[in-house]
Amino acid sequence: MTGVLAASGIRMSFGGLTALKSGAIEVAAGTIIGLIGRNGSGKSTLFNCITGYVRPQAGSITLSGRDITGVAPHRIVEHGIVRTFQTPRLDFDATVLAAVLCGFYPARCSTFLGALAGLPSLHSEERRLVEKADDLIERLGLGAQRDHPLGTLSMGQVRLVEVARCLAADAKFVLLDEPAAGLTRAEQLVLCRQIRELARQGIGVLLVEHNFFLIHELCERVTVLDEGDVIFVGTPDEVARDPGVLRSYLGAAAEYAGGMAAE
Amino acid sequence: MRGFTRRPNTMIVLGLAVASVALAARDPVWTDTWVIVGVFVLIALSTGISYGQAGILSMSQGAFAAIGGYAAAVSTLRFRLPPGIDLLIAAALPALLAYGLARLVTRLTPLATALATLALGSVIEIALRNMDNITGGYIGLAGIPGIGIIDTPLKYCVLVWVMICLCVLMYENLVNSPFGRALNVIRHDRTRAQADGVNVPQLLSAAFAFSAAIAGSAGWIYAHYISYISPNSLDTHTSISALLMTVIGGSGIILGPLAGTVFLDVLVRHLPAQELQGMFYGGALILILILAPTGLLGLVPALLARLRVHRAPRGTTKAATVEREATQ
Amino acid sequence: MYVLTEYIVRGIQAGSIYGLLALPMSLLFATAGTIDFAVGAYALLAAAVATIIAGPLGIAVAIAAAVTAAAGMGVIFLVLTRIGTKDHIVFALASFGLAVAIASFILWQFGTQAFVRASFSQFWSLGGIRISPQGVINLGLGALVTLLLYLLLYWTDLGRMMRAAAANPSGAELAGIPVARIQFGTYLAGGLLGGLAGIMILYSAGLDFTASLSLTLGGFGAAIIFGITSPLRCLLGGIAMGVAEALAAGYTSGMVTAMVPFLFVLIVLSASNLGGAMAGDRP
Repeated sequence: MTGVLAASGIRMSFGGLTALKSGAIEVAAGTIIGLIGRNGSGKSTLFNCITGYVRPQAGSITLSGRDITGVAPHRIVEHGIVRTFQTPRLDFDATVLAAVLCGFYPARCSTFLGALAGLPSLHSEERRLVEKADDLIERLGLGAQRDHPLGTLSMGQVRLVEVARCLAADAKFVLLDEPAAGLTRAEQLVLCRQIRELARQGIGVLLVEHNFFLIHELCERVTVLDEGDVIFVGTPDEVARDPGVLRSYLGAAAEYAGGMAAE
Repeated sequence: MRGFTRRPNTMIVLGLAVASVALAARDPVWTDTWVIVGVFVLIALSTGISYGQAGILSMSQGAFAAIGGYAAAVSTLRFRLPPGIDLLIAAALPALLAYGLARLVTRLTPLATALATLALGSVIEIALRNMDNITGGYIGLAGIPGIGIIDTPLKYCVLVWVMICLCVLMYENLVNSPFGRALNVIRHDRTRAQADGVNVPQLLSAAFAFSAAIAGSAGWIYAHYISYISPNSLDTHTSISALLMTVIGGSGIILGPLAGTVFLDVLVRHLPAQELQGMFYGGALILILILAPTGLLGLVPALLARLRVHRAPRGTTKAATVEREATQ
Repeated sequence: MYVLTEYIVRGIQAGSIYGLLALPMSLLFATAGTIDFAVGAYALLAAAVATIIAGPLGIAVAIAAAVTAAAGMGVIFLVLTRIGTKDHIVFALASFGLAVAIASFILWQFGTQAFVRASFSQFWSLGGIRISPQGVINLGLGALVTLLLYLLLYWTDLGRMMRAAAANPSGAELAGIPVARIQFGTYLAGGLLGGLAGIMILYSAGLDFTASLSLTLGGFGAAIIFGITSPLRCLLGGIAMGVAEALAAGYTSGMVTAMVPFLFVLIVLSASNLGGAMAGDRP
C-alpha cells in the first residue's frame, strides 16, 4: 500500500479572519504523523481542508500525486481518507455492532432500488458484513460490548469504536482529531497500541493532538502550526526542545513540561 | 423461509391483511370501507417513510397521491393506456417531482422543510384545480376504467392490501440495508454521515422520492376504484390527516402509520358528527405528543420492557456525559 | 398607469394583514425556534365570533376568544417543555393539531359559510385611484402595531428580556430572565395579533373554515422574505406579498394569484439558508 497524502500552501480565511496562511503537512502510508499547535493556530482548519469539509482559497491537497482539493467530504472517504471527530458524533442508543456496520457504507454493493427489492444476494452480503464487523470488534478488544448501546461504554471504548469504523471503511489514511480527549492513561495506552497497529498494516495516520504524551509515543514526525503557518517540522524530541515552539506555547509550556516530567 | 423470519413487519402485515380482507369480504359496506382505509394506509405509510427515514415532515403526500390519481385518469382516459402500465407513471411522476424538490430543501432545518412541503402541496392542489384542459378543473375526471381483471370491490380490496404488504416489504428491506443505516446516521448527525461516505442530499432525496412513489400508487388505485377524481379527492386535507395518523401511530416505527390510520379511522366512525373529525385528530395528536411522543406503537416496547424480568446492563455512561459536557 | 397604481395600493392595504400575521411568527421563531401553525386559526376564530356578535363588543369578544385559544397553545407548549421536549418540530406539530382542531370546531359550529362583513359602502378617491377605507384602516392598524411592537422590543425592559431570550435562551435563563414565561407571552401575542388580523379580514375580503393554514403560511412567507428578525421587516414583507398578490390578480390568472403566498415561501426557502443545516458546518 503505497501512497502519500499531502497538503501544501493551504490558505483559508473565514470572514475577515485568516485561519491558515500557509498550511502544509505530509503523511506517507504506514507512518504516524503528528499535527500540533495551540488553539487558533489553524490545525482544525487544516484538518477540515484535508477532509473536504472546507474548501481552501489557495493551496492544494494531493493523494499520491492526484489533486483532491475541494473534493466533497463523502468523496474523500471513497478515496480511503477517513476521519474521526473530537467529540464523537454518535447515536448513543445504537449498539457497537450497528456503529461499526455504518463504516461499511462506501463498500455497499447495491443501488437504492436494489435495496428496496431486497434480493437474497444482499442478505448474504449483510451476513458477510456482520462477520467482518465482528472481526474488527474482536481485534479492538470490544467483543464483550458488541451488543451494548454506545452510551454504556467508557470514552476510551468509544474511541476504539471510532477506529473500528475507520477500519471498516477500508481506510488508507486515518485522520484522528484529538482522540485522547477524555481518556485515562490506561485507555491512552490501549489506543496507542491500536494506532501503532494501524501503521503496521500500512495505513497512514495523522494525529492532531494537544496531549503531547500520545504525540511523543507514536509520531515519527510532528508538524507544528502557529497563527496559520508551519513553524517547525521534526521528531517529537526536537519539537520539545525547539525555542520557537516553546515561545509559541509560552503559556502552555509548563503544561507540556509537566506532561513530559510525568513520564 | 429464512427470508420471512428476518422481516417480521412484513409477516405481521401479511397476517393482518389476510385476516382483515377475509373479514371485510363478508359485507359489501365493510369491503368498500376497507379499500378506502387501505388507500389511506398507503398514504400514511408514505408519510412515515418520509418522516421516519428521511426526516422530512412531509405535508405534500396527498398532493403526490393526487398526481398519481390524475396520472392514472389521464393515461387511461385520454391516452388509452392499458391499465397497470399507468401505475408506473402514477408512481414515477410524483417520485421525480419529489426528488427535484428534495434536492432544493434538504439543506433546510426540519421545520423549514415541513413548511416547504406544505407550500408545495398547496401549489400542486391549486395547479390541479385550474388546469382545466388536462385535469378537468373543478369538475375533475370521471369514467376512469377499472384495472383489467380487477373489477369488483373485493378484488380492489385484495389489490390494495397486497400493495400495502409490498410497501412494508420494501420499507423493511430499506431499513435493514446499508442505506437504512446511513439514513439513521443522517437523522442523528449529517456531518457524521458525510464522514461515513454518505452523499447526504442524494440519499435523502432518494428516500423522499420513494415515499412519493408510494403515495402516487395510492392515488392510482384510488382513481381506478372510485372511477372519478377531483381536486378535493386527495388534497392538503389528506396530507394533514395522513401526517396526523403517522405521528399518532408512531412515525419512527414501520407499522406505526398503519396502526394510526386504522385506529383513528375506526374511532372516527363513532363520532357524533363528521365535522368533529378535525377536533378529534388534533386532540389525539396533542395527547400523543405529550403522553407518548413515539406514538401508539412506541408504547409497545415500553410495555414489553415492563413485562420482561431481565433488564439490559447499564454500565457507566461516561462517554455520553463527556460528550454532553464538551458540547455545552 | 392608474390601474397599476390602484393594484399596488390595493396590495399594500391587503398586505398589512399578512404583516400582522407575520409579526407573532417572527417573535415566536426568535424566542422559541418554532412556528405556531394555529395563528391563521386564531384569525379564523376571531372572524367567526365577530360574525355572530355584532359591533365593538363582538370584536372584543372575538379577540378575547383568539387570545384564549392561543393561551391554550401556550399551556401545551409549557407542558411539552416541562416533560423535556427539545425537538422544535414537536411544538410545531402540536400547534398544527390545535389548528386542525379549531378549524374543525368552526366547521361544526358555523358550517361552511364565508365570514365577511361589509364595512364601508363608499370608496374614497385619491387622484383618480379608488381606495377602500377599510384598507386604509388595515394599513394604519398594521403600521401602528408594528410601531408599538418596535417600541416594546427596543424601549422597554420586557423587550430587552425578549431579545436576550431570543439571542441566547440558556444564557438568559442563567441571568434570571423567565424565558418560558416570555415564550408563553409570545404565543399570547400570536392570539392577539392573529385575532386582530382575523377581524381585519372579516371586514375586507372575508374567509371561511378552510383558510387557517393558508393564512399561517402567508404570515410565514411574509416573515421570511426580508429576514425573520425585526417587526418592520415583517410589515414590509407582508406588504410585498400583498402587492405581489394584487399584481398577479390584475395581470395574470386566478391560478397564479392563489399560488402567490406559497410560491413566496418556496422561493425564499430555496434561496435562503434558514439555519443552514449542512454545508459549511465546521465539524
